[in-house]
Amino acid sequence: MLVAWNYRYRNSLIDRIDPRARLIFSFAVLIAATSTWNSLLLAIIFMISILWYAAAKLSWKDTKRGWMMISILLFTMIVVNTIITGGGAGGVVPEGGQLVWPDGFNLFGRHLTFGLTVERLWFAVAQLMRILSISLVFIMIPYTMDSRAYGVTFRKLGLPDRLAYTMELSFRFIPTLARNFQVTLDAQRARGFELDSVKGGIFNKIKRIAPLIIPVTMNAIVSSEDIANAMDLRGFGQQKRTWLYELKYHWWDYAVIAFAVIMLGGVLFLAFGRGMRLFHVPQWWYGLFN
Amino acid sequence: MTDSLPLPLVIRDLGFRYNSRTTPAIEDINLHLEPGQIVLLAGSSGCGKTTLMCCVNGLIPHTYQGYMQGEIELYGKSIKGMGLAEISKHVGTLLQDPERQILGTYVINEVCFGLESQGMPREEMIQKAEKALERLHITHLKDKETHYTSGGEKQKVALAGVLAMEPNILLLDEPLASLDPASAREALLAFRELADEGLSILLVEHRVEDVLEINPEKVIYMDNGRVVYQGDVKGLLETADYTRIKLPAQTVMRRAKGKPFEECCFAVPAFDPQSEPLVSFQDVCFRYKEDGPEVLHGINLDIRAGEVIAILGHNGSGKTTTVKQALGLLKPTSGQVLLEGVETRKTTVANVAKTIGYVFQSPSQMLFAPTVREELAFGPENLGMDKETVSQNVDWAIETVHLEHELPMPPLALSFGQQKRVSIASVLSMKSRILMMDEPTSGQDYWNYQSFMNTILQTPGFDAILFITHDLDLALTYANRVVVLYGGQVMADGSPYEVFADDEQLRQWRLLPTSLLKLNREMYAQTGQFLRAEALSQLAG
Repeated sequence: MLVAWNYRYRNSLIDRIDPRARLIFSFAVLIAATSTWNSLLLAIIFMISILWYAAAKLSWKDTKRGWMMISILLFTMIVVNTIITGGGAGGVVPEGGQLVWPDGFNLFGRHLTFGLTVERLWFAVAQLMRILSISLVFIMIPYTMDSRAYGVTFRKLGLPDRLAYTMELSFRFIPTLARNFQVTLDAQRARGFELDSVKGGIFNKIKRIAPLIIPVTMNAIVSSEDIANAMDLRGFGQQKRTWLYELKYHWWDYAVIAFAVIMLGGVLFLAFGRGMRLFHVPQWWYGLFN
Repeated sequence: MTDSLPLPLVIRDLGFRYNSRTTPAIEDINLHLEPGQIVLLAGSSGCGKTTLMCCVNGLIPHTYQGYMQGEIELYGKSIKGMGLAEISKHVGTLLQDPERQILGTYVINEVCFGLESQGMPREEMIQKAEKALERLHITHLKDKETHYTSGGEKQKVALAGVLAMEPNILLLDEPLASLDPASAREALLAFRELADEGLSILLVEHRVEDVLEINPEKVIYMDNGRVVYQGDVKGLLETADYTRIKLPAQTVMRRAKGKPFEECCFAVPAFDPQSEPLVSFQDVCFRYKEDGPEVLHGINLDIRAGEVIAILGHNGSGKTTTVKQALGLLKPTSGQVLLEGVETRKTTVANVAKTIGYVFQSPSQMLFAPTVREELAFGPENLGMDKETVSQNVDWAIETVHLEHELPMPPLALSFGQQKRVSIASVLSMKSRILMMDEPTSGQDYWNYQSFMNTILQTPGFDAILFITHDLDLALTYANRVVVLYGGQVMADGSPYEVFADDEQLRQWRLLPTSLLKLNREMYAQTGQFLRAEALSQLAG
């Protein structure tokens, strides 16, 4: 379970905020962003998330890997699903609508027709704002939260000891898994295995990656047994636990929590009480395509 | 004796059989521990040492179920009915691999873990943790991240975590397994100090020779689940099978006198210093991250046909990192590695695998196939060998590691030692010309590793063999060239006789002279080479 941690103290605004307040804020953004398709509300949430992210003073180099993963997710969800196939917009964007290219267009001398509508394109923008808002507030957690703080944060947020420590371990399990995966990949490459050469149908692909998946999974099982033993041998879970890491609220933490609650309350009120929950396309957007 | 003051630990007629097995893992165990005593528990793999420990620390029957007989008493009180939390207040356990035991991300958090579980107030907890760190002289590590501590430091941090709970009995399960010689020595001295302060220590270890230096009060030798010998050190040296556990060289030499012994003959071709190097490291520097520290500083090394090279060095000296450069798994930050004249940057790892077979340290990180046969066939199939060749190679490789009867078994169902041998066989089956092994003997008992090393070195087909080890004796008996790394630099490179010439120098590299080395030096005029104790006894007449 020993891996290098991404966290380091950056003397940022976020570093000064209590981890509990930070988590409450992140979940408030998550709930707010997922309770509306209204582009104005999503834009506001998006702006707040950007400011929150900027307050963490994270460099691109630090977070590059995480953003790469999110880019892949965004590409699949937005470009492939919503724009090309239209599948992701189902149920939110009404059928029909105004075509972006009503007369088709010419590409490499061939005339093509493409059923992308102005509505679906706006939906892609809304979806982008929603996913990015959530990503911005959650991607920064491993970089900004001290590894010692996880368990006690969840505990003080009301989770029982066992569950709180389980949360701490699961956060640490991900980088451990990544490290083990690399070791196994190296060991199998040294036996002539090449990941690029995994071709064929889905079953063949799964069979071909078995040399990676099986050792990593087996190791995870074996090491979880070791961890459980190490914990048992030191009396874990037998009585109420104290935590070495101390958390202390300051006035600004209460301010962050209050802001999160007001923001979430406001969004929920506008979404469910003032009809701003559903997807709609602003008039000026249509203007761009006329 | 027990009437007036109950002993910390008394075990009477203990037996245990796991639910999944038909035969008992341990039988008729009787022993006791007195305050301030170190009891060494020795024996080969599978002799029941770990089962016995689990019975004492409560993992049996709380985690591992089975049929248990007999009685275990802590201070006169039976542990039957005691919960793990209560047992853990008396009995502290240090598991074999500190990496797998450490739970905290910072040293102080790791040391406090058990105290947190006891619900201790914060101030008291910190006080006890600081005391434990002080006892092991590692107060300076208090605020360090556990990930960045060295192997020896990790061991001590894990031990501090156990000591903070103030147990009276300490169970240590092969605590020296992953340590370099100097760190192992330091750990042993720390155990002695703790015993002298009144702690009772049960130390499971097959590096018997090393443990003897701290004068254990009692020695127990187990075989096949039973106690074969219990008494003082002198008796053990006469009773224990010297081919099964590692005894001091003088003892082996005396006892082996007149007994038949065949010295291992290398099968690698004769060394020719004029030949073209198979692998050539040229000013290799390396850092894992662009902005991270440099871990290799200008490594220059040529590997030629006929060489059996041992790479030695302290924990974190860059041994594995260096060897991974030869395979192209890591690429130098500056400098270059040439494999038969071709730069590793310009070729793939799969291509290199045709020439270099590399056995990783931990078998569980590579074994995956449903049967041992398929596991062994994986490498040669990846290299595009035809079916018949694959089959021949598999048969040859499995014979080399003496596991023919396990071919239809799933590798993951085998014992750790057997898994290790399967992992080695699965690289042997590729019939690479150069064999590189990372700690080939770790987790194997003395007999297994000797016989395995003999077989490998007598196996024709390798142009050169390289192995990484912490074991000085392994290097001096099996290698014709020794390379010492220290802090990412090559400090010495030469024959075992040249490299191991100066004790003071060895200590500076965190290697320690062994009894076998001393004996070999004394007899060098007569032998002209370094040999095993059995071979020396033949020569001594």
